[in-house]
Amino acid sequence: MALTRRQFLRRGGIATAGGIFAPSLFGSPFLQRAMAQTIGDRYFISLYLNGGNDGLNTVVPYDNGAGSLRTHYEAARNSGAGGLFLDNGPGSGNTQGLDQALPATPFLDPNTGAQLSFHPGLQAFRDLYDAGHLAVIQGCGYPDPNLSHEVATSIWETGDPLGALATSKGWVGRHLEAEYAPTDIPAVSIANLIAGQLQQTGTSVLAIQRLQRFGFPLDEEWDDDYAAKMAAFEAMYGDAANTGVGTEQFIGNSGLATSQATENYPQLHGDYVSERAVFNAMYDNVALGTQTSTARDLREVAKIIYGVAKGEPGISARFFHVANGGYDTHSDQGGGQIDGRHYALHREVASAIKVFFDDLTDMAQGQSDGRQNLPEKVCVMVWSEFSRRIIQNDNGTDHGTQAPMFLIGHGVNGGVIGNHPNIAPLVIEDHDGNTPYSQAPADPFRSTDLRDVYGTILKHWLNVPVPTVNAILPVDAIVDPTNYWNVANFDLPLF
Amino acid sequence: MGDQNSILSPAEARHLLRRTGFGAAQRDIERITDGEETRGEAADRLLGFTPTTFRPRNNDMEIAHNKWIKYMVRTPLQLQEKAVLFWHDHFATSNDVVGDPHQMAAQNLTLRQHCKSDFRAMMHAINRDPAMMDFLDTVRNRKENPNENYGREVLELFCLGVYDLDGQPNYSQDDIVQIARAFTGWRVDQRDEAYFDVGRHDRGTGNPGDPYPERGPKVIFKDNPAFGPAGYDYGAAAGTNYELEIDEVMNAIFAHQDSAGRNTVAHWVAYRLITFYADPNPSVAYVEAMVAASGFDTSFAVADLLRAIFVSDEFYAPVTDPTKRSVKWPVDFVVSTLRLAEMKLRSRYQYINGGSYDTIFDELSNMGQTLFEPPSVFGWDWESSWVNSSTLLARFGFARDVSAARGRGKTTLRVEKLFDFAISSNVDPDVVIDDVTKLFGVDDAFQPGSNNHDALVDYLTDGGGGLLDFSDYETRDKKLRGVVALVLQSPAYMVH
Repeated sequence: MALTRRQFLRRGGIATAGGIFAPSLFGSPFLQRAMAQTIGDRYFISLYLNGGNDGLNTVVPYDNGAGSLRTHYEAARNSGAGGLFLDNGPGSGNTQGLDQALPATPFLDPNTGAQLSFHPGLQAFRDLYDAGHLAVIQGCGYPDPNLSHEVATSIWETGDPLGALATSKGWVGRHLEAEYAPTDIPAVSIANLIAGQLQQTGTSVLAIQRLQRFGFPLDEEWDDDYAAKMAAFEAMYGDAANTGVGTEQFIGNSGLATSQATENYPQLHGDYVSERAVFNAMYDNVALGTQTSTARDLREVAKIIYGVAKGEPGISARFFHVANGGYDTHSDQGGGQIDGRHYALHREVASAIKVFFDDLTDMAQGQSDGRQNLPEKVCVMVWSEFSRRIIQNDNGTDHGTQAPMFLIGHGVNGGVIGNHPNIAPLVIEDHDGNTPYSQAPADPFRSTDLRDVYGTILKHWLNVPVPTVNAILPVDAIVDPTNYWNVANFDLPLF
Repeated sequence: MGDQNSILSPAEARHLLRRTGFGAAQRDIERITDGEETRGEAADRLLGFTPTTFRPRNNDMEIAHNKWIKYMVRTPLQLQEKAVLFWHDHFATSNDVVGDPHQMAAQNLTLRQHCKSDFRAMMHAINRDPAMMDFLDTVRNRKENPNENYGREVLELFCLGVYDLDGQPNYSQDDIVQIARAFTGWRVDQRDEAYFDVGRHDRGTGNPGDPYPERGPKVIFKDNPAFGPAGYDYGAAAGTNYELEIDEVMNAIFAHQDSAGRNTVAHWVAYRLITFYADPNPSVAYVEAMVAASGFDTSFAVADLLRAIFVSDEFYAPVTDPTKRSVKWPVDFVVSTLRLAEMKLRSRYQYINGGSYDTIFDELSNMGQTLFEPPSVFGWDWESSWVNSSTLLARFGFARDVSAARGRGKTTLRVEKLFDFAISSNVDPDVVIDDVTKLFGVDDAFQPGSNNHDALVDYLTDGGGGLLDFSDYETRDKKLRGVVALVLQSPAYMVH
């Protein structure tokens, strides 16, 4: 059946699409294998901007430098009733200008030398950038970009643009199943679903919306019956895990991992709230007035990292996934209007990440255990399935191609990597209104392949040996060698 | 191997009922088996209804959501509501974007009216559906800047699919751009009816003197086998009756052929319905066979296609092959449990009278499925994507809540009345297990001698074996409710 990989995953599910767990090791459900994985004492967080974030109104040309980026930007975004145009200047009234988020440190497009600025909603990103903790990777994408949310998302999640692996497992998931045993719980998706990037079948990834509500539900009328009930529960799920077939086996393993995790995870909420009350409230302040939940989702990550770093028993997650929705701004996008949709999204995400790192920094103060140097051990990767059309429609933008990615952390080399895509009118006209994807080494607007970013993270942040990185992110044989994607050999200067 | 004339066994009857509705009550199974109905007869009976005019109206989307759940629980037209649920996923529209519960309710009625109709009529209605027009920006699609949102999803999700059965692309970006032009100018008036505003419509046709000459003629599907290299010029076909352009686009879509010359819409829609009702990973041959058997590629009659599926061997394969079983959707899990437990929810907020006292909206939200709020235009992720620690805990919590609904009346779990065995001081645990698992349709997985059966015997007798004293309130209330919770939490109950 020839479907897109994501359709395959969505309709068939990972259990039937990608095989199932190896024979279960959940016979001893509380067994914790000693962890000696390549990530060491680090953490990795993937933050997904769901819907296709408008990259051009995220990292914005402020002047022309030696090129014409600003002129082209103004031409593309200064039309229509809505007007997504971001003015240089402080802004006025309800609208903020780029000066509000213009870094004090050099923030230049490497190719044209143009001054760049963050969208005015991203003032916290400006602060992180000025502190040297934020890297912008411009023009990220992959050959022959796809404009379908579904297809593009699956490409970003699998890291396999041309389907060389024919897999629905995520690129992080493939790393996890190579590194961890079925009884391990190395990753948590902060959602009521397991993010595509973390999909795999070899180990246990949790989905947790809120730790506070992660307890196993029992009938409180008869608390003397809990042990008997849990014994029967684990017998049924153990049976499904060990002797079940197909989806039932998957359910068996998932249920056992769940009941195991409910023993340890819920208390992380109480510990954090009582021990870190000041920061607990700061996430709420960021979330105030927003319709999205990135701040509160990142707080759940902070709670778990706090537990792991302190060495709480049974807590070992080092990979996390958080998603923020609402970026599919075909309409009502808003430019620099503080009550606009894009502004609200940008503000919450950037401010939440800033508070998160402030929280980690404070956690590390004066500690000599796993909390020591915590902000240097945490890396957040921000991505979206595509950017949006260069020419705006009315007060919105249709689907586009390449977008900037962000890597954030005190262990990250701050700066600008990769070139701004070419937004010259004649060029984008030739590419259906989008930026042309090019990896030709001679192209001054050369794009950055998402696999170069992933590979650099695997190699330099997760310390995965190169042959294993190559196996996780295979070379596409059918790509023109002059456009060979692996131009940086997973050595982007990010860390 | 069987066919439409095969008489249904009790297990097959149960499977037919729970795949086409929400759970199989014993009396409904017996209606089939007592009458010795064949696959064809049962399918015809289940499909032979006139759609109802129910719509879940309320100013509050959450209350409207609950009204629909309540209707699913009580309606005898189970097949209708299961089908509407499918179409709600297929034409996924979220009130998070639309923000108008009345438009959402109107769309729900449209899906009900067309749940087994001619698919062409359904698309005609969807193109003009106010909630959809808002959700995918048709109402904001103007000649100055044609908005591609709706045009893309008509092709990708509703009608064609990105790729055909052989992995060949079905359309190009240019097709989307041109189709977006057809939908320019369509708006919704104050009475929530679609109308065509020619002043906002792109009247270009590529002819000299027309507006937007740079956009060229309104040609789609160039090189498609159905139209040849020239494609289909829907602008020329509609002429100056610009409001007919969207219908001409639909004519082209319904004539579209895939790379092997198959009707693309018919095979895409058949594939989607098969993944829902029969097999999440169907073979190409099965999809082709269902289209051929139903004539769906000429009639586009959904009822005929469903009948073909409901009499096919593949549909009944999960009865004997556990690897073919499908994960129940959260809504299915909830509604079938309430039906089988003969339990109602309380108040217009529809909460369970026990346990967490969460509303059904919150329970379903935690399981990953709130009606009228699909996560995106792609609808929900199915099968094992329903299963993770968060959603499983939500299912376990719902099971606990149902089992802990105490007190009097129909909003409680009436454990003393629900089962066949007599409440006495010497109840055989095997009989309890048999009764409870039969009620919820998982007796196959709890046969004596199985590990599951042993686990429940150990639970009921606290490991000691022997008979149960159910004349004692504490034992009865604790263990009978406890065993209901465990059965509803069991791996077997998660699938069907």
